[in-house]
Amino acid sequence: MSDKEKKITIETGDSGKGTTELPASANTEELEERALSVFSSDRNEDITALVLCLLTAFLVLLFTKWLV
Amino acid sequence: MSQIKDQMPALIMGGSLLIYGLIAKTGAMLPMAKYLGTHKTMDLQVTLTLIVGCIALVGAIVSTTRKSGTSNIDIFVLRPLAGIVFILVLAMVIRWYAEPLMKITSVALQPLLGFKIYKVLNLNYVVLGILVGVVLTNTWGIPKFAAEGVKCARFVLKMGVIMLGAKYSLAELAKLGAYSVLLVGFFVLGTVFLVLWLGNLFKQPKSMTGVLAAGMGVCGVSATVAVAPVVKAKAAEMAYTIGTILSFGIICMFVFPTIGHLANMTPVQFGAWAGTGILNSAQVAAAALAFNSVDIETLKVAEIFNITRVLFLPIIVLVLATWFGKETGQKLTFKSVVIDKFPVFIIGFLLLFFLSSMGVFSPASHYKGKYIDVSYSERTQVTPEGLESLNSAMAANEFSGLTPKQLEAVTDLVKQYQIAGNFADRNDKKVFEQVGRARMAELEGVLAAAKGKQLTLSADVKEALKHAVKQVHKESRTVVALTDFMIWFFAFGLIGLGMQITKKSITQAGGWPIVIGIIAGVTKATLSFFVVLWLIKDVVLN
Repeated sequence: MSDKEKKITIETGDSGKGTTELPASANTEELEERALSVFSSDRNEDITALVLCLLTAFLVLLFTKWLV
Repeated sequence: MSQIKDQMPALIMGGSLLIYGLIAKTGAMLPMAKYLGTHKTMDLQVTLTLIVGCIALVGAIVSTTRKSGTSNIDIFVLRPLAGIVFILVLAMVIRWYAEPLMKITSVALQPLLGFKIYKVLNLNYVVLGILVGVVLTNTWGIPKFAAEGVKCARFVLKMGVIMLGAKYSLAELAKLGAYSVLLVGFFVLGTVFLVLWLGNLFKQPKSMTGVLAAGMGVCGVSATVAVAPVVKAKAAEMAYTIGTILSFGIICMFVFPTIGHLANMTPVQFGAWAGTGILNSAQVAAAALAFNSVDIETLKVAEIFNITRVLFLPIIVLVLATWFGKETGQKLTFKSVVIDKFPVFIIGFLLLFFLSSMGVFSPASHYKGKYIDVSYSERTQVTPEGLESLNSAMAANEFSGLTPKQLEAVTDLVKQYQIAGNFADRNDKKVFEQVGRARMAELEGVLAAAKGKQLTLSADVKEALKHAVKQVHKESRTVVALTDFMIWFFAFGLIGLGMQITKKSITQAGGWPIVIGIIAGVTKATLSFFVVLWLIKDVVLN
């Protein structure tokens, strides 16, 4: 039996809908990590967080400093 | 029809939030808010509930009218929306009801217990948020509709860390001498390496050891969140670290003041010790106040030592990224550590810290958004009644007990109607501010002497002086608003983090992280005690 056919089960918690079956050859740590995030990679998550924070800071500056 | 059924939770939550917001807007909830001490947040309560309520309703309606797909709107907005609203509702209940109720109950129980339980157990939104998440996920389980929303927790926690940068300024670091910064740096790095060594000794997972090293070395929640993606830490490991730090802090809160008194530490020495040895900033403040509730110097020194640690966060991220890469057998070059492994959101933290230090949000010398402004302004002037009281006191020779410098500060206040530098120096901002700040310090000295019954001043005069001092203490609305955002991001993120912690993951982590944390914490506290006694004399702040 090849690796692709073997299946393993990983714990992803309730937020990752309990457990998930995966091929044995999969990078389970990475998949477990991704199962707990809506983003496809850490970099995407970080960049989105950064952009949203800069936008928030800009709006806060606008309404508490520049327009007052 | 099934789509409407799926969106029912979002519709119910959205509708309930709108009703809450509208009732709050009428003022009907003000008496209860006053009892809870949350009346100052009523405007925020109305705005937030109405906005979130509307978004939930619109999102639910849009979801019922279109077929769920794989577009960005579906993945990032419509599918997680119900879960996001669910966690936000929990955060609102914790911030506006559970936390204030905890404080009220603690105060009521104080005569019976002899201490305030919320302070001792640090039952603030951080702990309550994680607890609510853990309890919910291990009892009823996370509601099916909320599962996608919970996946946003780590992302929102990262936003909290980025926002943290706006709260601090390089001026904070400049307040400590290079000597003290080196001391803080030595203990931060020393603790990180000690925990890494202990983790290796006790054969703990690399992710657990890495996140615990950051938490124990730098400072609780923010460092834990910042380092977690670098060392691939799981939610349970993050929660374990936060729990270990807070539990250790509880012991320190009691032990530190007692040892400080037994060792006859000066207020400055104790401040430096507590700021170095205790990790959580709320617990640092509690220990400093327990040691000396009168002399504000202890608290100030402790807080500045504590805050300086946060500035080591990017360095620790780099150190741990290198360590984790090597431990997991990766060949790392300088480029791969600094560019590939360095989390982008820490760059965000640094960017906001840089903007804050440049004075974009508030004057660069601010301290958590608070700063002193002695420039000429009508708003800073004493009231006509206050001025009259001061003039009468001058005429009646009421200030005869003052030192020459104090008397000069009072005389200048009467002359210029506000605390300020010399009019002749108004174009030399630096000198003007220096003189103004010195005068403010003298007036604070007068008030302290009057409080300590070393001086007798009439109530009107004291009031006028207090008012003058208060007027030059300003608060940046921008930093306050950004800090509020940070608190909400952390509240949301920690509830979600708690929801990712199952019983199984807790038992998997075992008791070793606590043992490692306590060994590292006790070592740091003991070493810093002797170093502070040996090196820190009375003058720490520049």
